[in-house]
Amino acid sequence: MRKTAVINLICIVLLCLVLSPAQARIYIDITSPAIRKLPLSINTKGPSGAKKIEWTVKSDLEATGMFEFVDPDVPGAEIRADLRVDTSDGLKVILTVTDLIENSEVLKKRLDASSMILRTMAHSVSNDIYNIATGRKGIFRTRISYLVNSSIGRKELRVMDWDGYNSKTVVSRGLISSHSWSGDGRFLFYSSERNRKWKIYIRDLRRPVETVLFSSRGLNLVGGTSPDGLVSFSSSRDGSSEIYTIDIHGKRLKKLTRSFGIDVSPVFSPDGGKIAFVSDRGGTPQIYIMNADGSAVRRLTFEGSYNTSPSWSPADDLIAFVGRKNGKNQIFVVKSDGSDLRQLTFSGNNESPSFSPDGFFIAFDSDRDGGRSIYIMRSDGEGLKRITPGYMKAMSPKWSPYFK
Amino acid sequence: MKKLFVVLLLVFAVGCSKKYAKAPEEEAVKPAPPAMVETVTPAPEVAEEVTGEQLPVIEEEKITAEELSPEEKAKAVFTDVLFDFDKYDIRPDARPILDAVAAFLNENTELNIIIEGHCDERGTNEYNLALGERRAKSAKNYLVSLGVAPSRIITITYGEEKPLCTQHNEACWQRNRRAHFVVAK
Repeated sequence: MRKTAVINLICIVLLCLVLSPAQARIYIDITSPAIRKLPLSINTKGPSGAKKIEWTVKSDLEATGMFEFVDPDVPGAEIRADLRVDTSDGLKVILTVTDLIENSEVLKKRLDASSMILRTMAHSVSNDIYNIATGRKGIFRTRISYLVNSSIGRKELRVMDWDGYNSKTVVSRGLISSHSWSGDGRFLFYSSERNRKWKIYIRDLRRPVETVLFSSRGLNLVGGTSPDGLVSFSSSRDGSSEIYTIDIHGKRLKKLTRSFGIDVSPVFSPDGGKIAFVSDRGGTPQIYIMNADGSAVRRLTFEGSYNTSPSWSPADDLIAFVGRKNGKNQIFVVKSDGSDLRQLTFSGNNESPSFSPDGFFIAFDSDRDGGRSIYIMRSDGEGLKRITPGYMKAMSPKWSPYFK
Repeated sequence: MKKLFVVLLLVFAVGCSKKYAKAPEEEAVKPAPPAMVETVTPAPEVAEEVTGEQLPVIEEEKITAEELSPEEKAKAVFTDVLFDFDKYDIRPDARPILDAVAAFLNENTELNIIIEGHCDERGTNEYNLALGERRAKSAKNYLVSLGVAPSRIITITYGEEKPLCTQHNEACWQRNRRAHFVVAK
């Protein structure tokens, strides 16, 4: 009896060792200019639901453009991911990643999902494969907040998985406009018009609690959040719309701009040191950058007469924005010094760009298919994918940060 | 004890001959993640919708001015003021309308008004809200310059959120780029 107990204990220790292998090699260097596609095969065993997990994993990884899927029965893959799905008691996946060149196991992990849903689990599997392959954190468990036009003059705030599934309504009251995530992904800030007043509200996503962050006469539109917990917004409390910052408790209000025209849509740089915003001080709406204390204002965009909706990449020195070209709104990216301007969309009207937390994807809305839907593409404009159904009038996506 | 070990091994077992129940449909598997589910409040019915331009009442059968309440008279005077694309300055064709509105307000000093600023769909949503506010304020400033007390005028912007007309052409866009007058209740 005692002996078997000891053997069991040894087995458990051995299993634990197997479950935490050391990782050394990076298979895809995403910093290299020409990324080679990594040949990957996915081998899934389990009941009928298992294929659904495999399908989601493939769809996640496919979107990066970094993987080439090889049939498990055909040679040529450099990496093989084995998914053993077990649904006999809750939902379990044993993920084994094998380096077929070195013929060594580089990851073995057991994911237990008795309380998790299938897709969420699949996204976790994708994150692990992506992390092994690139050494980077995957975004497959992040979410996107967005607006749905439920009827004329009404817009509700919803949150969905990054691939458009698992959508939930967060706020359905009034007319909602700009919105932004807190740095930890726990809160949503949003501007809403109710009874002819535009206020900025906060919604705790863990509890059904809504509070007012900022209220004044005029138009109050939330912009973004900084790593040290400041919220940027525009307000016309003093008459003309100017840029302000405030902390998340509604204290430490600071007015940053004083111009006659419209100043709107302020977003922080990833380090919180700078703010990009839209101003028509030069006669047409253009994007400007200033220090987060309001000093050193300079104009960023010079092409065209309508440039709005800046979004700062959380990872790179890149700002996405909406520019009007040949009468249509298109998504552009530019470096913060104004160099390397590139147009990413060419079809229909494309608005509201928002970067994924790794800076690798951009979510935006477009009318290219007739309605108004949310799409994602990679930040080089490749890999376009519609993620909201065509019948739904969906717009203004804001990508969440990584969740803690 | 041996059983325990066997169970442990089973966790890592490759295939399994046991017949599984068909995986339930996705919707059924989705338990709502905590907190995210509930909306803050159920959407209330909009009780006092001020939007939606009433179709021109002016064409209706003529009733003598004496029979009309000031609110009804206001509807006849309150024509939308229109703007150019991405502009908020008062155009010459808007002046007679604003002059009439000012004269009416100066006669009916018990009435207060709301000016709604609206835009066409072509701009981006946030900028359009700021632009709509400017349009409402331009109209307000004009009325104030003609002697209407600023405290009698509330401005509100709806940007491109409440279009009068939903076709995608210039005639429709022009109708939507407007400052709209409503009697405050």
